Amino acid sequence: MKPDEKQPVSRRDFFRDGLRGLAALGVATLSGLLMHRSVSRRTVWQIDPDKCVQCGRCATDCVLDVSAVKCVHAYDVCGYCELCGGYSKPDAHRLDTAAENQLCPSGAIRRQFIEDPYFEYTIDEAKCIGCGKCVKGCGSFGNGSLYLQVRHDRCLQCNDCAIARNCAGEAFRRVPADRPYLLKGEQGL
Amino acid sequence: MKKVTSLSGSKPKWAVLLTAVVMIFMAAQWAAAENRFPKPEFESAYQQPRTTTPDGRGHVFEILDMAVLVLMLILATVFAHRRRSRKALFVLTIVSLLYFGFWRRGCVCPVGSIQNMTLAVFNQSYAVPLTVIVFFSIPILFTLFFGRTFCASVCPLGAVQEFVLLRPATVPFRLSRILGILPVLYLGMAVLAAATGATFLICRFDPFVALFRRSGSFDILLLGLFFIILSTVIGRPYCRFLCPYGVILGWMSKLSRFRVSISPDICVQCRLCENACPYGAISKPVPDDPPESRRTGVRRLRALLIAAPLVIMLMGWSVSLMHPLISRMHYTVRLAEQIVKEETGSTDQTTLESRGFRASGNDPGILIKEAVQIRNRFRTGSWIAGIFFGIVIMGQVLGLSMVRHRNDYEADPQSCFGCGRCFESCPRQHMRKAEK
Amino acid sequence: MNDHISRRMTTFILITASVILGFYGFSLLRERAGRNTNPYAYDLEPFRRSDSANVLYSETGFIDFSGQVLTALCADPGHGLIVAAGSKMFRVDTINRISEWIPADEPVRCLAVDPERRVYLGYEKSVGVYSPDGSRLDTWQQFSENAILAGIAAGRDVYVADAGNRVIYRMNREGRMLASIGEKDPVKKIPGFVIPGSCFDIQISADGSLWAVNPGRHKLEHYSPDGDLIASWGHPSMRLEGFSGCCNPTYFALTPEGNIVTSEKGLERIKVYSPDGELRDAVALPGQFDEGTVGLDLAAGPEGRIFVMDPSRARIRIFEKGERE
Repeated sequence: MKPDEKQPVSRRDFFRDGLRGLAALGVATLSGLLMHRSVSRRTVWQIDPDKCVQCGRCATDCVLDVSAVKCVHAYDVCGYCELCGGYSKPDAHRLDTAAENQLCPSGAIRRQFIEDPYFEYTIDEAKCIGCGKCVKGCGSFGNGSLYLQVRHDRCLQCNDCAIARNCAGEAFRRVPADRPYLLKGEQGL
Repeated sequence: MKKVTSLSGSKPKWAVLLTAVVMIFMAAQWAAAENRFPKPEFESAYQQPRTTTPDGRGHVFEILDMAVLVLMLILATVFAHRRRSRKALFVLTIVSLLYFGFWRRGCVCPVGSIQNMTLAVFNQSYAVPLTVIVFFSIPILFTLFFGRTFCASVCPLGAVQEFVLLRPATVPFRLSRILGILPVLYLGMAVLAAATGATFLICRFDPFVALFRRSGSFDILLLGLFFIILSTVIGRPYCRFLCPYGVILGWMSKLSRFRVSISPDICVQCRLCENACPYGAISKPVPDDPPESRRTGVRRLRALLIAAPLVIMLMGWSVSLMHPLISRMHYTVRLAEQIVKEETGSTDQTTLESRGFRASGNDPGILIKEAVQIRNRFRTGSWIAGIFFGIVIMGQVLGLSMVRHRNDYEADPQSCFGCGRCFESCPRQHMRKAEK
Repeated sequence: MNDHISRRMTTFILITASVILGFYGFSLLRERAGRNTNPYAYDLEPFRRSDSANVLYSETGFIDFSGQVLTALCADPGHGLIVAAGSKMFRVDTINRISEWIPADEPVRCLAVDPERRVYLGYEKSVGVYSPDGSRLDTWQQFSENAILAGIAAGRDVYVADAGNRVIYRMNREGRMLASIGEKDPVKKIPGFVIPGSCFDIQISADGSLWAVNPGRHKLEHYSPDGDLIASWGHPSMRLEGFSGCCNPTYFALTPEGNIVTSEKGLERIKVYSPDGELRDAVALPGQFDEGTVGLDLAAGPEGRIFVMDPSRARIRIFEKGERE
């Protein structure tokens, strides 16, 4: 094809200018429309404790070496029991702090005697791997005061969360960053 | 076991459905009531701790991200168009690698933002953060006016590859054109996956993000390593043959107002720049006399234009045929298929997902209905994606068949990243420097 | 560039491209196949699959309450059962026909019938008293602000178990408080109730003495009407003879023969004990319930029948001894 030698450049330029204007307008419109219902803060990933089925993927699928999901404790929901379904193995011989009687695979739950008959359980986040084993134990026998949450000081907030992708309870969702936790108990109200 | 009696006898279907709905509602209430239980009363001075809620990055950092993006785009543009300094551009590349790569750990990036934008368009309930909108649109706007300066030295993914490019080999022209289709396919599939709410493919298979985070699943780390090794001999393999954002920027760059030129003023046809570009973005002069007669050219064009609708529809149709397979990207579809398999007894193997679903107590009927809806969306989507592929492929073929006359060595705006390597090879640039 | 190098280059790139594409495909497919095991599974299966050989009871039928969320159950001796589903009340006659009864003021958490067939409905902080025909006689509201009523038993006097204050009140039929029972008292050797969950069931035995569950200590406690602890028994264990988990047993019922039927959550088990705590029989084992079922309220009927309220399946299940199908 041999273009008309006199005009080609300006004609092509005109065409290009028009298209460029259109493209810019398109991008601006799209952005504007979406900005209309955008949130100024980012959204972050969080686990809905009511949907969590403790599939173990929080421990295995996070892109971090040690998952950003940790077990947290709603103290005001806890019964402070001596026999804790989340702390002791189901077949524990004794209700003591011996490693072989602990349910947690990384020994991340600390138990402390407060007064008869109450014991306080705290999570050592540095040790917790977010497997949810204790969550299941606590939920089966106790009040469900132990539950999993994404800890935002650790989470990288991947655009495509590797755990959310495979969460067997479809419990992961994006929440506004100014209310980044889905808490149980009075703090969750 | 015999059923002794029933509260309601046999009910019509709608009544069963209604009671089911009421039951779910009441179950929720009941569950709430069940949470009411006495708190321990401590006699000692024990203070009940609160659950800690550590914050993530502050809002300030998000604004900082946007500011850095815009600042770096401006700098990249000035360096490529005004200063024409490869060195400055390279320094900027390092800054990008450090800031967006290792400090911000690769998220959010404009490449992935395509998916957030798509999801926001198709899912009314997804509120896309302002940062993402800015990261998506500002580089596009810059490209519309100044070419792909974003790719040059702002994109951390490009920066990694730029950094390790040691001995660039030339990719044969035809092959590079054929492989150039890949990013378009990737873009199409990524948009389809995001629009249907299935997954964010681009983020999932981002080869370098695991490197930025210095952790990740083994296979993605392996992929990253592979790409880095490949990048030492082939210039920016990800940018050229996979990056979906690059497709958009390439098209935008074709329309760009100002272009990066090899020579600061006039081309003296010295051919020194011919092999300067590791990305195959320098177009050689095309002789004035066309190698074929005008008639054959017109005839071929006519044939192509007639074939185009056919090819496009064929592409649409053939991709739509694959929609059952493609729809498995969506969790709900995978789960529903597994549940159906279990219910029909064609498998006795349950999965973690199906067990999780059973534990949730949700109705398989509703799940399957939902999965069918999603699959239908995939059918429509894969038709559209197929047509899109067809149009792009036909466009490519048409473009190749039309030989345009060109006098000088020029940077092809669509594939030029504006890295500035060719500046240094141009004698006019050196002369100009000497003049200053 | 000469053709030779170009061809090698092409081959190299094509191989590379197919490796990468293959990787993408493989990665997607592998995910689709699903990884099937949870390395951190909390496994109760060995305990759920306990030996059913010595279970002499079998389920002989059920009363269907589809669409209702069952909250409380008690026997109305000689007349059948009374069932609460939130604030709806039902009567079940001796041949298991359901009829709707009076609507309650608020969700019923526990209920009891006295020998004159008056019905006491325990709400969260008050008690409604009704005549057998359903007319309201009285409402007792003298409970404290943090009261959570979880158990009620009616004989000559009425006993109300308050989980919020961890105490049982003895009241006369007019609602006057007569005594508090079960508060921690080292002198009387009363350990005090530990109520970690929402369960705090009580029953009156034929001789007028009081049985109460102490779920946090995994015990059943036997009190005289004056509040002296007569006896207590029970120990925590996953094995059949003990009570599992942190807050079990959840509910219990007294049979006409004086035995005690208990229910547990976590490992859903129904068992019969002698009054001195010896395991007599297992009635139902975990496999017979949906996993995670809570609130298995119990009632003992005539001819050794045991009624189990199963909120998860919305039915009252009937177990009888010796009738294996």
